[in-house]
Amino acid sequence: MSAASEHSNWVELATNAARGGEEAAPEELRQLLSFQIADASYALPVECVREIVRLRPITPVPRTPTEVRGVISLRGEIVQVIDLRRRLGAAEAESTRRARIIVVQAEDAGIAGLLVDGVREVMRVAPSDLLSQSGDGMVSALCRRSGTFVSLVDLGKVLDLHVGS
Amino acid sequence: MAARRSGRGRRSKADREFVSEAEEILEAMRSGVADLGDQHVAGRDLDPELVNRLFRSAHSLKALAGMFRFDPIQDLAHRLEDILDGLRLGRVNIDAALLTVLEESVATFAALLERVGDAEGLLEFEQTIAGLARRIAEAAGAKPADADPLSRLDVEPSLLRALTEYEEHRLRENVRRGRHIALVDSTFEILSFEEGLSELTTAIREHGELLSTLPAPGSAPESQINFSLLVASDLPAPQLLSALDFPKATIRAVLAGTGATAAAAPTLQATRREPAPDESAPLVEDRDASLGGDVGGELESLRSISDTVRVDIRKLDELMNLVGELVIQRGALNDITTRLCEAPGTARIGGELAKVQKLLERKLRDLQSAVLDVRMVPLRQVFEKVARVIRRMRRELNRDVRLELRGADTELDKLIVEALVDPLMHVVRNALDHAIESPEDRRAAGKDPEGLLAIEALQRGNHVVIAVRDDGRGIDLAALRTRAEAKGLVQPDEVLSERETLELIFAPGLSTRDEVTETSGRGVGMDVVRSNLAALGGVVDVESTKGRGTTITMTLPITLAIIQSLIVGVCGRRFAIPLTSVLETLMVELPQIQRSEGRELLDLRGEPLLLRHLAREFDLEGTPAEKPYVIVLGIGEQRMGLVVDRLHGQQDTVIKPIQGPLSSLRGIAGATDLGDQEPVLVLDASALVDDATRRREAA
Repeated sequence: MSAASEHSNWVELATNAARGGEEAAPEELRQLLSFQIADASYALPVECVREIVRLRPITPVPRTPTEVRGVISLRGEIVQVIDLRRRLGAAEAESTRRARIIVVQAEDAGIAGLLVDGVREVMRVAPSDLLSQSGDGMVSALCRRSGTFVSLVDLGKVLDLHVGS
Repeated sequence: MAARRSGRGRRSKADREFVSEAEEILEAMRSGVADLGDQHVAGRDLDPELVNRLFRSAHSLKALAGMFRFDPIQDLAHRLEDILDGLRLGRVNIDAALLTVLEESVATFAALLERVGDAEGLLEFEQTIAGLARRIAEAAGAKPADADPLSRLDVEPSLLRALTEYEEHRLRENVRRGRHIALVDSTFEILSFEEGLSELTTAIREHGELLSTLPAPGSAPESQINFSLLVASDLPAPQLLSALDFPKATIRAVLAGTGATAAAAPTLQATRREPAPDESAPLVEDRDASLGGDVGGELESLRSISDTVRVDIRKLDELMNLVGELVIQRGALNDITTRLCEAPGTARIGGELAKVQKLLERKLRDLQSAVLDVRMVPLRQVFEKVARVIRRMRRELNRDVRLELRGADTELDKLIVEALVDPLMHVVRNALDHAIESPEDRRAAGKDPEGLLAIEALQRGNHVVIAVRDDGRGIDLAALRTRAEAKGLVQPDEVLSERETLELIFAPGLSTRDEVTETSGRGVGMDVVRSNLAALGGVVDVESTKGRGTTITMTLPITLAIIQSLIVGVCGRRFAIPLTSVLETLMVELPQIQRSEGRELLDLRGEPLLLRHLAREFDLEGTPAEKPYVIVLGIGEQRMGLVVDRLHGQQDTVIKPIQGPLSSLRGIAGATDLGDQEPVLVLDASALVDDATRRREAA
């Protein structure tokens, strides 16, 4: 699948998902955007996703933790980008053409970019399908999806970064 | 900076519009009521224009609340409008009870505005409003008793009957104060009477108060029109006529003044506020249409109100962003044009393109400055806020302080003005709380018991300088040093110059007095003032003489939007340094760099200049250049040389805050997009200089 068709595919999925949410309002289904880090699948609630952009030049910012890759310019706005590979402890690898930056709107941290290896789909999940995970990890729940586990990322924890940490 | 607006996120757009507009009105009411209180306490006559302005504010607030259907606010505003109308027409006397009701009403409005968007919260105020309404009614009960002084006027009763209630009240007021009353008559060509009349009224206002403008029956030919103007002045009629210097006018004395209160129209403290000329226009409601009183000047001022469009600052931000993007695209276009011009086959068409582009650039510059201009607002509003805080603190702290404000008309970008409020307020609170002594202490020190706090703003090139000066006790350097040592900021054996010691007030968590007070003990120190200003591309500086006073100087760019920056290169990376903090740039050879105690110094015309390598400050990897450049940074009195590899030249930069989870990136003020999509970090020169001078003891 080419990058372009993959993108339009995603837009279609998101649109359908949004429309479905409006009309039918199926009982408490949550919509998650799933994406890829190394060979694992992760997901975020769609409500906190503002947009998805292709990889663009990232300017490193001195004196910051390595998880912060740097800043990008988003139509003139300057946004920090967090390398989710590093943040989630996956092995280092070069970004490919499929890599994307998911721009998220966090409750108290403003907007931020998450660098991921690729964006997959918008899934609809019933709360009963989510197996919540306790502990200090950055994954708040697991969700079974066609034979594999998708990990729901706790955005608050991912963005809980400090200078010097 | 993003957090600034998030608190009100749950409100609808309409609610936000209402609140922003209502807050502005409330602001005016608040300062009006405070002025009213001052005048009452000082035993002066109330300034009629002040009462008028208050009335207009209540009226606008009522109309606004009605439009947006905020019933409790509309209800309260309506009652206030009534009582203020009574006040301006002389039906109600001002007293302490009325003042209290006015103050509480304003406070209630503020509380109501907080609850907009929360219907239940608004309902909680029903009791409060009912209580206020009752007290307003009580306050309105007191009526002035007066014998009718108008019977003494030598004037046709028909003329008196033509006066509106307000005009009649003003007439009585002026008679009571013993001013001369006169009728000025003049004839104008119908086709051009507006101009002539407005000239005459302007002249009259210079020498007195224009009470009423009436078309006079007269025997003028059809192409002409007569006007009679009822005037109150401190000048007797003949002198007034010659002072007016208006050839066609005649004058008739209606009442000779007693000169009992020869003082001219009541004035506000001139240092605080000069009422703008258009504020002195009477209300439209006062003007009976049959009087034909469409007087030029007054019509003008009414028109100017409706010519104003209120715009959400976010829309201006968007506009600014678009212009910023255009500026960026221009850079890309330039490159293409240059390539076309250089290639042999396309040189001709490249040349044509270059010409078109020149025109485009000129228009773009115009657009840029026009958009910037829209965002400019005078400092007046901030100054009025400060004046209010000072009035309140004067009472609470038993400080006798005279406030001098200058340069309220100095204009700054709206965003900068907003961001300036907190730092400025902090500095002012510090001055009142810590710097200016109690009247007793001042007397003991041989000073005027009344302290002085002067705030002065002036424009200097692309910057605005705001100086807050007090004549208080000054900063005690020894005490400052002791505290800094106690906090571990300075080693006991460290030698600091006076200037370096003074700079310690900007160190985090330092306060020179032990007690924390309600007014300034808010856990924010001068370090926050400095970093807040740095985020705006500004700097703060301090001067102090013990026993004589302190001056805090804040220098800010006029606009956040576009700043000239020097682009430098280090280890293959680019950084921007705002030109405001660059004094000069030098190319040096490595052997010129000298060492002392592990520090690197450069002999700059005989003075040692402390050097810092940007690559080392930021842990950048790469081979240093053999002939590096030194950027001499100047922040206040401090100097530092920043060593970089290359200079890429100067550029207009649109500095943006960096959004994301990491806040307060030390040494970085923001970032900018120079047109190639790759953001360039903008250095925070004051933090770099600060760090360098503070870390000097490092082994």
